[in-house]
Amino acid sequence: MIESITGGYLTAPITGVILIVIGLYGLMVKRDLIQQVISINIISPGVVLYFTGLGYIPGAEAPLFPNTNVVDPIPATLMLTTLVIDVAVTSFALALIIKIEEIEVRRDED
Amino acid sequence: MISLAVAFPILFAILFRTITYFDIGIRQIYEDLVFLIGIVGPIPIFLYNISDLPMRNVVGGWSRISGIEVGIDGLNFFFLMATFIIFPMVAFYSFGYFEKSDNKESRGVSRESKFCLMLLLYGSLIGTFITRDLFNFTVYLEIASLAAIILVGSSDTSGAKVASFRYLMLYLLSSFFFIFSVGLIYAKTGYLNFPLIEQNLVMDTEMKVAISIAFIALIMKAGIFPLHFWLPDAHSKADTPVSALLSGLSVKAPVFGMLLFLKYTSIEFLVLPLMILAFSSIFFGIGMALYQSEAKKLLAYSTVSQMGFVLLCVSTLNIIVTGVYVLAHALAKAALFLGIGIIIKEQDQKDLDSLYYSNRKILMTTMILLSLAIGGVSPFLGGYAKKLLSDILAKEIVFLFYIASIGTLTLMARLNYELLTGSSEKKQRFNLKVILPFALATASLGFGIYYKPNFSFLGLALIGIAIATFFILKYSRILDRDVLSHLKRHEKGLPVEINFYTMIFVLLNILFIFLVLYHDVLRETITSLGL
Repeated sequence: MIESITGGYLTAPITGVILIVIGLYGLMVKRDLIQQVISINIISPGVVLYFTGLGYIPGAEAPLFPNTNVVDPIPATLMLTTLVIDVAVTSFALALIIKIEEIEVRRDED
Repeated sequence: MISLAVAFPILFAILFRTITYFDIGIRQIYEDLVFLIGIVGPIPIFLYNISDLPMRNVVGGWSRISGIEVGIDGLNFFFLMATFIIFPMVAFYSFGYFEKSDNKESRGVSRESKFCLMLLLYGSLIGTFITRDLFNFTVYLEIASLAAIILVGSSDTSGAKVASFRYLMLYLLSSFFFIFSVGLIYAKTGYLNFPLIEQNLVMDTEMKVAISIAFIALIMKAGIFPLHFWLPDAHSKADTPVSALLSGLSVKAPVFGMLLFLKYTSIEFLVLPLMILAFSSIFFGIGMALYQSEAKKLLAYSTVSQMGFVLLCVSTLNIIVTGVYVLAHALAKAALFLGIGIIIKEQDQKDLDSLYYSNRKILMTTMILLSLAIGGVSPFLGGYAKKLLSDILAKEIVFLFYIASIGTLTLMARLNYELLTGSSEKKQRFNLKVILPFALATASLGFGIYYKPNFSFLGLALIGIAIATFFILKYSRILDRDVLSHLKRHEKGLPVEINFYTMIFVLLNILFIFLVLYHDVLRETITSLGL
């Protein structure tokens, strides 16, 4: 549907923004820590999709050596960093949730 | 060459963790030496590079378009000075603070991991301060924030894990918005290098929206009201050396981002909203700090208020004033945390009511000196910074600035009053660590004298008014009101807090975008109302 409105050019950025809004909604409404981490994980690909989509040129090829008419590779390269950080951060957030729950359980037992 | 200053600590972080992880029988003193070399190593590199300022180069000799530009000039000189003075002091302080545990079963984070994280924080902070590339800045800021978040979570204090989680979620939220705005700027200008962005800058509505989103993300990362929620807990629950690093340096990294935007783009359209946020942060921070019962939390709220002052400097669009203020606050706040940490550790208390320094003459002198430094009294560097700031502020709002200065001094009067009144007959042995905060206080004094002190009766009058205000507040029993437990009654747990904070963040973004879009309409309305 988005493609028919934007003519294909802005599909990825607009989908990205929609994902960001969904993630924000989750972060504002969900009252479970794990669901909140998942909400953050929905915002993240939204940002990645938006940013990567900025480098898109209709009809262009992958930025490999013999090709001349290529898409902008910089946004995709930069987003690799974000993705890597995101994976590590998610695991850290989940570990923290386990610790927080452990402390709460211990407090209840005491 | 200066980029080596970033590589050095990060390399040593990996080296240090490797040799300590495999336990190859090296004595602890040699391990500590590796850590220390990682901390001290970048300083000669920095000193070598500042012989010829301003310095600029692109890492690896690439062109500006594809490479990463770094530099040292008036924009980041004071930030780097603060880093290179505070970090070694805190490193020495942490040797005695984190004790090596022989118990392998211990569930806590080991001393070695904390040292490794401190080196990572150090390297990434230097990276943040020297870069001139928008995305490189983002990445270094992420590494620095992550190291800081893990350091907060590694503390054994109760509530540290919750503080760390809150910090993590809000940091991620602001990071994604920042990256979003980086994307907008890249789409508009086609570059990520700041000087090239400046050359291709067209200040249309989209660019303004991008810069406002970036600013709100940076305000959240800097812990400025109304996006300060994560700061007081994170800074007060962390181990003392970490608190000193967080309050002294870590919150200054986003401020450097603001300065990059200030220098290379145009932020005139944001001046008024920033000024409003700055003053609200100053007064909110002071108000909350006055009611705190924990010493470290008082200092953490004082950071919220001082970051308001820093934002005020940014909103005057003056780079040097911001730099000087940042250096002044970094030195004083890091030293205050170190000083209060010594008292807390010795007396094994954290409540202001039961802490005292009356049996420690050097520590007492240090704390009083630091209180004057943070209050902005000449001849300290803070005095010079506040003098510069008051000179460039518009006449109509200078009175607010003086009220804020009195507020800061009142807060410091309370801190010293509480520490002075508790007394003990027990004679304390001289603790060598006291030298570290004392050295930082002397540094603040030294810089202040170097910049030609401006003695005036106004400074003395402000101290007098502040002390009088404190006693009026105290004896009118306003300070005895239990505001904290009143606020606690409305707490509904961590998940709801995160819901609420996200909502405020989103609302502030919408408000700023609204201001950018309807700037002209608002101005016309204000003019037609005759305001």
